[in-house]
Amino acid sequence: MRFLHERLDNGLDIIAEVTDGGLSTSVGFFVRTGSRDETDDLWGASHFLEHMVFKGTADLSAEEINRRLDWMGASANAFTSEEDTVYHAAVLPSQQHEAVDLLARMMRPALRGEDFATEKLVILEEIRMYDDQPPFGADDRCRAAFFGKHPLARSVLGTVESIERLPVEAMREYHRRRYSPGNIVLAATGAIDFPALVESAKRLCGDWEPLPATERRRPPTPVAHDHIETIVRPTATLEYAVRMSAGPAGDDDDRFAAKLLAVALGDHSGSRLYWSLVDSGEAEHASCHHHDFLDAGLMITQLSCDAADVEPLLARILGIYHDAATKGIGAAEFTQARNKLAGRVVLEGERPRRRLFHVGLEWAHGGLYRSVADNLRIVEGLTEDDLRRVLDRWPLAGPGATVLAGPGAVAEPSPSGPAGA
Amino acid sequence: MKQTLFSTTLSNGIVLLGESLPGLESVAVAFHTPAGAIHDGPGRCGLATLSGEMMLRGAGGRSSRQIVEDLESAGVQWAQAVSMSHASFSGAMVARQLADALPIYADILRRPLLAEEDLENARQMVLQNLAGTEDDPAHRAILALREIHYPSPWGMPSEGRTADVEGLGLDRVREFVATHVRPRGTIIAIAGRIDWDDFVGRIDRLFGDWDPGATTTVAAGPRGPHVRHVPHDSQQTHIALAWTAPPYRSEDSYEATAALAVLGGGSSSRLFSEVRERRGLCYSVSAGYQTHRDFAMALCYSGTTAARAQETLDVMLAEIRRLPGTIQEAELERVKARAKSGLVMQQESSAARAGAIARQWYHLGTVRPLADELARYDRLSVGSIERWLATHPVGDLSVVSLGREPLEVRDAVSA
Repeated sequence: MRFLHERLDNGLDIIAEVTDGGLSTSVGFFVRTGSRDETDDLWGASHFLEHMVFKGTADLSAEEINRRLDWMGASANAFTSEEDTVYHAAVLPSQQHEAVDLLARMMRPALRGEDFATEKLVILEEIRMYDDQPPFGADDRCRAAFFGKHPLARSVLGTVESIERLPVEAMREYHRRRYSPGNIVLAATGAIDFPALVESAKRLCGDWEPLPATERRRPPTPVAHDHIETIVRPTATLEYAVRMSAGPAGDDDDRFAAKLLAVALGDHSGSRLYWSLVDSGEAEHASCHHHDFLDAGLMITQLSCDAADVEPLLARILGIYHDAATKGIGAAEFTQARNKLAGRVVLEGERPRRRLFHVGLEWAHGGLYRSVADNLRIVEGLTEDDLRRVLDRWPLAGPGATVLAGPGAVAEPSPSGPAGA
Repeated sequence: MKQTLFSTTLSNGIVLLGESLPGLESVAVAFHTPAGAIHDGPGRCGLATLSGEMMLRGAGGRSSRQIVEDLESAGVQWAQAVSMSHASFSGAMVARQLADALPIYADILRRPLLAEEDLENARQMVLQNLAGTEDDPAHRAILALREIHYPSPWGMPSEGRTADVEGLGLDRVREFVATHVRPRGTIIAIAGRIDWDDFVGRIDRLFGDWDPGATTTVAAGPRGPHVRHVPHDSQQTHIALAWTAPPYRSEDSYEATAALAVLGGGSSSRLFSEVRERRGLCYSVSAGYQTHRDFAMALCYSGTTAARAQETLDVMLAEIRRLPGTIQEAELERVKARAKSGLVMQQESSAARAGAIARQWYHLGTVRPLADELARYDRLSVGSIERWLATHPVGDLSVVSLGREPLEVRDAVSA
């Protein structure tokens, strides 16, 4: 695999990880914008805008975009997170030009008033759909509680109220500011004709107006504190708990060790949480994973079980974390987790569609490229000392936010609940 | 595209399938035993799932924990699943780990402990999964649809039923495993960076002396009512529709799946365009195809706010009715392009290919080469699909609504 990079005069970055003899081509536009870049008046605008991008440009109708995506045989979609909005397509190599051409044109959407009104209904349906599903909003509420006034507290979808009151003019202005070429990365993986990719980008994106980059608000990350609240859903069958405590941020070298630690403690199989809570049939699900943002990181624990069991099981999870902090991770356990993580790196590396997200996001966030071999070296170079350091720096049993959603086990929010135990 | 396929059958009936995928470092292996949920039996819904779970809880000289630790220490990404037709155990790994992984799977299939002390934990795990399903309205709507559309036992939930699972004893599990986890009907598929001869030799040493067992068949029973409302206190109402389609092994299954793809298979499909894009009625709407070996169904799904659910159902039915006689050449070209690029891209995943060749063998008794499959898409024409639609009108429509209020099935699509 080869890595190639070029920057257009207007600031658009073009990167590619080229697999000679690859069977498919994946391309994506990675826009550095998400819910953390919104204000109260714009809450939900990044995600709503992602939908509107598929509603057409001055020259292309929504129907035409959908027809062209299907015609090129694309597996195409988009997603919005707190920090990124990503549009991606996987096609056969013969369709590289067509895929880049269409996605590039879509980055300059018409944002028509009548489409905005119709799509608003779809967004409201999406909000209701997630509200009906586990964990019934507990994840968003937990992040909001953890981050407080920090911009990462904002949920990606917005609320029914924030979407209903959003005017199309505000979205147009948001698009103008945030979709400037210096704020976008065009990434490609698989069988890539890089000179042709750069040519396409020059022709299609070269006249995008360069705006001075709007700096992201990066206030200090709040200090983790205990917080517990409940969302009552009387008709839910199980109780869902989400707990967030501090972890290494996206620019912290300890993030790799944190991910390995999460595998050992809380992977969906073969981990301490698995053996203690899932294998015994006491919990439907119990897991721990690490998630990093640009300037913050989270260790996220998720539990689902009978409502009556949620408090003792959360207490047991904290006990497992406490035990790991005092006694560390054993050698066999460490090797198992490291080999498992290494296997995942290799398997994911075989699929250009998966690599696109790693390569694109890594560049969008830090201007860095790491090959599959680099990632494998990092994982294989991790030691038990690295995990020890992460356990000390980021105490999993320390302060954190906990939100429960379900039929209810805790009558009143109480500081002496599971998070404070 | 060059494709290297292998197959052989051991003397006890185990079918071995392989596909070499040059350029990959990984290998994926899948063991499909004919211990699927169609063999659960009346009042024992969930027996196959509980048995599959029990098989992982200790086998050969390995404890439950050692099985998982041995697989994961070898870097194996493992999975276990029970469908209506099979209990499957699979793993994907860096190719050099295969030799260590295969004996673990041999223990699981041939020497599961099925110990009394593990039964309650396994049962609780199955019950926890069932409780989780209760909170997934879209999944519940599809389960209800399968149940009213397929003849028993094909429409039963492979996950089980709480009341039945609570009553299952260890003797049942042992009998089920002894009867249905056996060589005859078992398919072992491997794909990726493979050494076929070495693989066959290892499998023969591990499984060659396994007693073949007898084949058991299941007769199709009655099916449920055609319309069902499942009361559920949710903001959205979930709508699921099904009608009979030809199974995959049938010669006209490509016509059927292409017609369904025109209806609801992509973002330019009829349903997506009309229900979501033009009317903004929902976030998700689609049409698809599910096949067993002898039965298959076309299905449509949408989830939408209760107040707009009736309109959504009416528009879905109208689009189904409108389909015959209106398929455009351009629509078919898009369907072909999507299907063909999907097939080619499957070659990038050892796990996807190991699954695909095993499925083909189960349905067809052979592995259909990629070139043959691509050619079948090339041969599709608007004429052949329209002829198929004209001779196979949508009949026996099954309708499920899950939400606060039942819906009215107006002017049902006629036979």
